[in-house]
Amino acid sequence: MPADPTSRPAAHRRRPRAAHILGQNSGLILAAAILLLSIIVFAGMFAVQQGRLPGDFEITSTVNNTMPLALAAIGQTIVVLTRGIDLSVGGVIDLTNALAAIFLAGSILHMIVVSLLIVLAGAAAGLINGLLVGLGRLQPIVVTLATLSIFQGLAIRVLPQPGGAVPAGYTSFLVNTNRPTALVFLALAALGWMGLRRSRLGVNLFAIGNDPQAAIALGVKAVRTRIVAYTIAGALYAVAGIFLAANATAGDATTGDGYTLTSIVAVVLGGVSLFGGRGSAVGAICGAFITTMIVNILFFAHIDPLYQSFYEGLFLVIAVVFGGLIGRLVRSGR
Amino acid sequence: MKRLALSRDALRVLAAYGAAVLLFVIGAFVHPGFASFQSVTSILLVASFVGLVAAGQCFVILIGGIDLSVPWVLNAAAILLTTASLGQDGRALYAVSLTLGMGALAGLANGIGVVWLGVPAVVMTLAMNGIIEGLALGLSGGMTCAACASYAPPAIAAAVHGTWLGIPAALWLWLAVIVVVSFVLSLTRFGRATYAIGNNPRAAFLAGVNVSVTVVFLYALSGVFSALAGILLAGFGGQASLGMGTPYLFQSIAAVVIGGVSILGGRGTYLGAAAGAASLTALVSVLLALNMPEYGRSIIYGVVILVLLLLYGREQRE
Repeated sequence: MPADPTSRPAAHRRRPRAAHILGQNSGLILAAAILLLSIIVFAGMFAVQQGRLPGDFEITSTVNNTMPLALAAIGQTIVVLTRGIDLSVGGVIDLTNALAAIFLAGSILHMIVVSLLIVLAGAAAGLINGLLVGLGRLQPIVVTLATLSIFQGLAIRVLPQPGGAVPAGYTSFLVNTNRPTALVFLALAALGWMGLRRSRLGVNLFAIGNDPQAAIALGVKAVRTRIVAYTIAGALYAVAGIFLAANATAGDATTGDGYTLTSIVAVVLGGVSLFGGRGSAVGAICGAFITTMIVNILFFAHIDPLYQSFYEGLFLVIAVVFGGLIGRLVRSGR
Repeated sequence: MKRLALSRDALRVLAAYGAAVLLFVIGAFVHPGFASFQSVTSILLVASFVGLVAAGQCFVILIGGIDLSVPWVLNAAAILLTTASLGQDGRALYAVSLTLGMGALAGLANGIGVVWLGVPAVVMTLAMNGIIEGLALGLSGGMTCAACASYAPPAIAAAVHGTWLGIPAALWLWLAVIVVVSFVLSLTRFGRATYAIGNNPRAAFLAGVNVSVTVVFLYALSGVFSALAGILLAGFGGQASLGMGTPYLFQSIAAVVIGGVSILGGRGTYLGAAAGAASLTALVSVLLALNMPEYGRSIIYGVVILVLLLLYGREQRE
């Protein structure tokens, strides 16, 4: 692990390898455990009420519905790793969703070019955030609050009324309605993360998240790293916006708004520390799926949908409190 | 060095007031009558709702926290006021105390979560927003309950709209809040403790400040201010509606930041935040006077906040 804050002088006894891995990844392990538990609870409720286990249809729709959130949460994770926070997620998804609904059409080549341009637009939005945070030396929370307003305005300018259309072929490529093939994209994202984690950029991201001053003293280009982090995040939000449009087969310049808050929820549930320096894409993906599973469970528990956010909020607090407790226990037991 | 830092903070407050005055002047040019007494007081009346929420937000931001539970505490307060009073003056006092109590309770829970459960402020207040939203929607049946159609008690509506010396009563209330909050923050032991915690909680603790209790109290205050704004807004509009609190989260944070309060805590004054609320509302009014469509307002709003931040919200080089 780079920038391991627990490394000590040689005089200390080294911890066993297993305990080290457990201690470093307690957030991720907890997220995976909660996800597993929520899937078991959901499957149990489903089996009792429907007389069978959740099949292809349920799994596929869950995966397809979670795709935008999972991608947004990975982007948010990269920003949060640098001790930042990105509130403009909703605005970027609104904008790219609107662009996708209007411009996706025609030949395969045309659609590929349009998709790439939309991802570039997302990256440009992220770049603006990054420049303001990095070079402008402004606080991330206020910068992204302001750019959220700007991107939301642009999205409504692009698509004043819900509408547009996404070609059926495009939809079935990204979010196949018969098989959860979209999982392949998440696997790709996780692979990309492993590459990032081992690259110089990844090491720098974690370094400035753990201790910015020490990282700068060791020669990490903090400003450049932050700018790149926000840019990559913006590109990921754009992909989320495209998936959202593909899933809905149409566009709406306001459906993305909710992703600002849910991406933060998913990141927190995924064991990413809001204080920076700890987190992973797999954790963020787990967090996103937990968020969807909670909604599914509440539905099958016949909870009045009006109370939904009450239970989500309560669950969020409980998960964070217990996560903190378990993390403390693991770390104190070294 | 100390004097220089002080004058810089004072400059930020002055800049926020300057922005407000400038916007009124611009408004007067683009729309005759914009800067008339009548128009200015009605714009400031709208600003007072943002300003009251910003008072609570200012308190928690000064200690390095943030309150994201504003939208639904405010909205639930408006719903609770109308449903508990049933539009009767006789029940107004009971409804107001119940509503302020609800705000205090929500804020108290925020504070307890942040201080004793160790939940980050962003997560705790975000979750609280969801919890209150779920309760407000669920208990009112999505605003379909029999009492949900009630109006705010006439006494409260009159208190908001009524004028004294030509100025709306809600503005007098805001003025009183500005005076009291500024006095408390700058001249009392409690205010000193707030700044001390914002600058360095550990040092404040070692200096004998009861950090935990102060922080919890400040979050509770923020809840009370959100609830107060909800009461006034219900009185202003006559009824409660779903989603009425949503704009106040971003506006309150923007007002506080434009007013020169550091989002990291420990620096800034409520006097500045109040100016921020006034200039934000003036900006929106100018854009409305220009018949700017919604998307344009949204974009310009964000750009103006960024420009003001770049002018005086920058941090020192690392």
